[in-house]
Amino acid sequence: MSQDNYHRISGKKDGIRIESRILEETIQAAVEQGERFLEVDAFGQHGIGGRLWKAGDEPVHVRVIGHVGQRPGSLGFPNTQIEIMGPASDDVGWLNAGARIVVHGNAGNGLANAMAQGKVYVAGNIGARGMTMTKSNPRFDPPEVWVLGSAGDYFGEFMAGGIAVVCGVDSQTPDNVLGYRPFVGMVGGKVFFRGPHKGFSTADAKQIPISDDDWQWLRKNLETYLDAIGRRELMDTLSDREAWQLIAARTPQEKTGVPKRSMTSFRADVWDRELGNGGMIGDLTTIDRSPVPVITTGDLRRFVPVWENKQYLAPCQHACPTGIPVQERWRLIREGKADEAVDLALEYTPFPATVCGYLCPNLCMRACTRNQALMQPIDVTKLGQASINAKMPQLPSSSGHKIAVVGGGPAGLSVAWQIRQQGHDPVVYDTAKKAGGKISAVIPQSRIPADVLDAELDRIKNVVDHVHLSQPMDRQEIEALKTDYDYIVMATGAWKPRIIPVPGKERMVTALDFLTRSKTDGIGPGRRVVIIGAGNVGCDVATEAHRLGAEEITLIDVQEPASFGKEREEAEAAGAKFRWPCFTKEVTEEGVVLTTGEVLPADIVVISIGDAPDTDFLPESVTVENGFVKVNDHFQTSDPQIFAIGDMVRPGLLTDAIGAGRKAAAAIADLLAGAFEPATERDVIDFNRVHLEYFDPRVTDFDDTMACGSQCSSCGSCRDCGLCVAICPQAAISRSESGEDGFEYVVDDNLCIGCGFCAGACPCGIWALVENTEPQP
Amino acid sequence: MPTNGRITPSTLSIKDLPWQIAWDKEKCTLCGRCAAVCPVRTLELGVFRKRVVNTDITVSQASTSTMSVYHGIRQQTNPATACVGCGMCSLVCPNDAILPLRCDEADKLVYHVNQGGAPRRRGGRRNIPGGLLDRIKFIRISMLTDPALDAGRHEFELRTLLGRILSPEENLAHLKENGWIPPVREIYPLIIGGMSFGALSPTMWEGLQMGVAYLNEELNMPVRMCTGEGGCPPRLLRSRFLQYVILQIASGYFGWDEIIHAIPEMKVDPCAVEIKYGQGAKPGDGGLLMWYKVNKLIAAIRGVPTGVSLPSPPTHQTKYSIEEAVAKMIQSMYMAWGFRVPVYPKISASSTSLAVLNNLTRNDYAAALAVDGEDGGTGAAYNVSMNTMGHPIASNIRDCYLNLVKLGKQNEIPLFAGGGIGKTGNLAANAAALIMLGASGVQTGKYIMQAAAGCLGSETDRCNICNVGLCPKGITSQDPRLYRRLDPEDVAQRIVDVFVSFDIELKKIVAPLGRSTSLPIGMSDALGIDDPAAAERLDIKYVV
Repeated sequence: MSQDNYHRISGKKDGIRIESRILEETIQAAVEQGERFLEVDAFGQHGIGGRLWKAGDEPVHVRVIGHVGQRPGSLGFPNTQIEIMGPASDDVGWLNAGARIVVHGNAGNGLANAMAQGKVYVAGNIGARGMTMTKSNPRFDPPEVWVLGSAGDYFGEFMAGGIAVVCGVDSQTPDNVLGYRPFVGMVGGKVFFRGPHKGFSTADAKQIPISDDDWQWLRKNLETYLDAIGRRELMDTLSDREAWQLIAARTPQEKTGVPKRSMTSFRADVWDRELGNGGMIGDLTTIDRSPVPVITTGDLRRFVPVWENKQYLAPCQHACPTGIPVQERWRLIREGKADEAVDLALEYTPFPATVCGYLCPNLCMRACTRNQALMQPIDVTKLGQASINAKMPQLPSSSGHKIAVVGGGPAGLSVAWQIRQQGHDPVVYDTAKKAGGKISAVIPQSRIPADVLDAELDRIKNVVDHVHLSQPMDRQEIEALKTDYDYIVMATGAWKPRIIPVPGKERMVTALDFLTRSKTDGIGPGRRVVIIGAGNVGCDVATEAHRLGAEEITLIDVQEPASFGKEREEAEAAGAKFRWPCFTKEVTEEGVVLTTGEVLPADIVVISIGDAPDTDFLPESVTVENGFVKVNDHFQTSDPQIFAIGDMVRPGLLTDAIGAGRKAAAAIADLLAGAFEPATERDVIDFNRVHLEYFDPRVTDFDDTMACGSQCSSCGSCRDCGLCVAICPQAAISRSESGEDGFEYVVDDNLCIGCGFCAGACPCGIWALVENTEPQP
Repeated sequence: MPTNGRITPSTLSIKDLPWQIAWDKEKCTLCGRCAAVCPVRTLELGVFRKRVVNTDITVSQASTSTMSVYHGIRQQTNPATACVGCGMCSLVCPNDAILPLRCDEADKLVYHVNQGGAPRRRGGRRNIPGGLLDRIKFIRISMLTDPALDAGRHEFELRTLLGRILSPEENLAHLKENGWIPPVREIYPLIIGGMSFGALSPTMWEGLQMGVAYLNEELNMPVRMCTGEGGCPPRLLRSRFLQYVILQIASGYFGWDEIIHAIPEMKVDPCAVEIKYGQGAKPGDGGLLMWYKVNKLIAAIRGVPTGVSLPSPPTHQTKYSIEEAVAKMIQSMYMAWGFRVPVYPKISASSTSLAVLNNLTRNDYAAALAVDGEDGGTGAAYNVSMNTMGHPIASNIRDCYLNLVKLGKQNEIPLFAGGGIGKTGNLAANAAALIMLGASGVQTGKYIMQAAAGCLGSETDRCNICNVGLCPKGITSQDPRLYRRLDPEDVAQRIVDVFVSFDIELKKIVAPLGRSTSLPIGMSDALGIDDPAAAERLDIKYVV
């Protein structure tokens, strides 16, 4: 078609540039009027050649001469063919939807930006951001951009489709035909190029081999392109397949980001290489620092369980001044060894029945862990009473050492009993006709059946051969004992009743006298009895007075009475009244006159404010303080050869006296063997370690010893119940037939995770979870 | 055993505790893991009674009561072993049967944490959630005005300068007269703030350093980490990685003789020296590394015998005035590396910050000023110091910057802000806000512990037991049984993740401002806040 057939439209009118709107209207009008060949003499007008849809399917040719403005062919239609006869400004083919645009020169920035269909052929180089945001719509052929030279910077940013071809002929940047940072954000399309490049966004795009199909397509369309720009002569130059390269967008699945060195590789090849073997602190420590799991076994446990069997005392045993291992006896009961349970007590006391079964306020029961949970303590009196049948173990043969025991009461008999069991020879002296001290002489028969006491006294006699009764001793005789005996134990008790110095004090009967005589019914209390001093002995007086016929019994005290337990209960049952505070002014024929002037009528007034020891007969080498003999922790007096126990040392319970006897005997045995053994007193177990939930709190009394044994939590001593084996989530605990008691529970450290469930479940409080102090592996 | 004993004033019930263990008997398999992992050993196996009363209303038979026993998990209630809410029990529970929950009622434990007259000490951060930084918005979004940039597409050089930047005239004069100009480092604007070797476990510390080295050498991000006060491992001192390290000197001077001995053998200079005068978490208070934490490793690095307590007094001992305190220390530390290494002080944010800053402006050696705000974290401090002492960072850094503006010295003494940056996870936004308020860069510690190592601590008083060395994640423990839970490689990888994602977010914020090669330091016209008083105080826009 010759130039003359073109409909000419000038961008000037009357020598003045017309605005883009007017030129656009002119072009649109010409097309509407049927013009299909247009030549536009442009003067920088915007958007020339786009939107020529009014021609329908008929091709429209637009030739642009002069200075084409920005965005020629923008929003172009497939029917449109635009030929720009010189260089072009920015955004050629912007949002092109099908037009073919030829630029016979270089093109500016933004070429083909957002183009979706059509072709842009450039006969030179292009500026920055060419082929950016291009699309590919499946309904149409992909858009194409052909560049003869090189692309400017940021080529193909966010390219989402289409094909770009960069031929690299007479490039503006021959060392880098793709420009700086091409294909950032590219998600679709491909780019053929010829010539060197300086990198592209490998996170978004990848270089791929040119397939035969690709090559066929390139060659075929290259001809079209070269024809369009009138450079057919380059065909040979551009037909060297080896010179071409192809870049395509990565698929979303391929977008793995910039390949990075793994940290493991960095550590091995960079970090440790620079710092040395073991990294930053490899020179300072050899501790294994390799990762460990959160839940660990063996030495990596933070805490480890320990089977602390018998490491702590049960509260009952701890509370017992005699030191009887009460829980041990219940264990034997549970194991069906009732005889052993009974016999065991004799190792500790010669009076298991008399004291534990009848006379003791049973401190063990008061201390019982079960009280903490408002549960009934295990009833030890049942076991005590059964002890009447306890059998003495085989006694050791005599060592030849002789120990004199002055006083045959509970303290003296206890120390003699223990000394004999240790293989030495005790010799007991007492002034009374009957051994047993106050148990025999003073304590009412209502509280201790005579046959029980006598049986136990007989048992003692079988063990302690030498008991000399009715044998008063003075200081000289005591002194003389020192030469005949290795040691002397003073245990003469407290037999000097205390009296208050009020007028008429001679009218008062001492409790000691009253009780001694009442044992043989040798005193008549009359109808009305006033007892000054409302302690337990006062209660015994009240009970006995009632038994002997008294009707009105009053106990008075200067403070709230300290009496407790069975004595108090029995006195109250006898109808005795307790009054306090009452201060005695005098004792008259009428009775007790109080400082208030009130008279408490009495046929007999009993004074019961305690007894003091008689220390007059003691050798001078024995120090007496405040009326009591001064001793050290071993009950040794200031004379190392003389010990003192019982009420001579401090007023106490029968069990205190018996316990003191045990301790003194142990001390003497130590001395005979060389020297005192260091004390190995164990701590009492923490109540919180014991778990009573296994026991029924509604058990209020115990039928027999078996019932007692089953309900005892065995604080501090393993019950051998195997609960720990069952609870351990790791099956790390097992029972082993070894150890002192014939069994022990052991932990497999390689299974245990240190959860402490064993400690949490143990009814006896044996297991403890302690910090793992083992060194690191 | 359910105690029926007497109560004491500090006898608490579960209801009184801030953290309550919800345990599901149905789901529990009694595997023991929760009890094994509990750092404070509050969890234990409980033995429970279950009583059933079997009634017979017809009275044809007597009603009976039967008792059975079951086992389960219970929490202890005494203050010493009360649950800290760390949630490790939930982490290890195979059946999701256990979870610490916050009490819906006011905490009563708080009244009993001072047993024996010892006020509460803990690790972590102010127990006051939130803060002003999260309320600052970036309101300047350029679309057509400034050259709008695309964070994903454009290239950014997010760098800041650490060092005294003198005016060209002054620089020339310095060079001419002294033959010396102050050294300046171009570094990444997010610095890992000072956390000592000792406060942190060896695995954590090595992981952080490794991550920093990776960022520098593999990703070309010049990230720097401050040692905190606890010295620096000898090998690190003699490696090229030292250039990524800011060595801290503080009132205890621990580890400095080891550093001095290493100077002749150093391959590179350290990035800088930070002189710590104060810490945002516990302003005006010192520190004490307890003797039982001073094991062989820590002792070697700090240059002390094992098993001795290491006090860092609240103040440096040989300084008696601000002139001395600043000038003397800065001079001394410059001399160590032949005046090639920038030296700057770090103070806790305070109403006296400006006095320090003004002093620094008169000292050409002062390389920067780091200011640590009240929301800073620590491994151990008195609760009262942490909760109530200190100054918010935003207004303090703003005052400092505007003061420099008044003096015409803005950006000549770079300001570094710390304390609570990223407190609620908004690391980049908080950092950008502080930069636009005038900071040249920010320091962060707690965020790093949370993001890079899974620290469980929170401002609602979760965990926060760093001070006793029982960190269940192994971050602040010196017990290998605990710190071996942490793999340094994982920490390093998370550090990389944190910085790379921070970088993207920071770009998202600064790109609309048209900034790609210089940080918008002091560009406060980009900031707005929905509180008129705060807006006025910070001299930024009030927006509603």
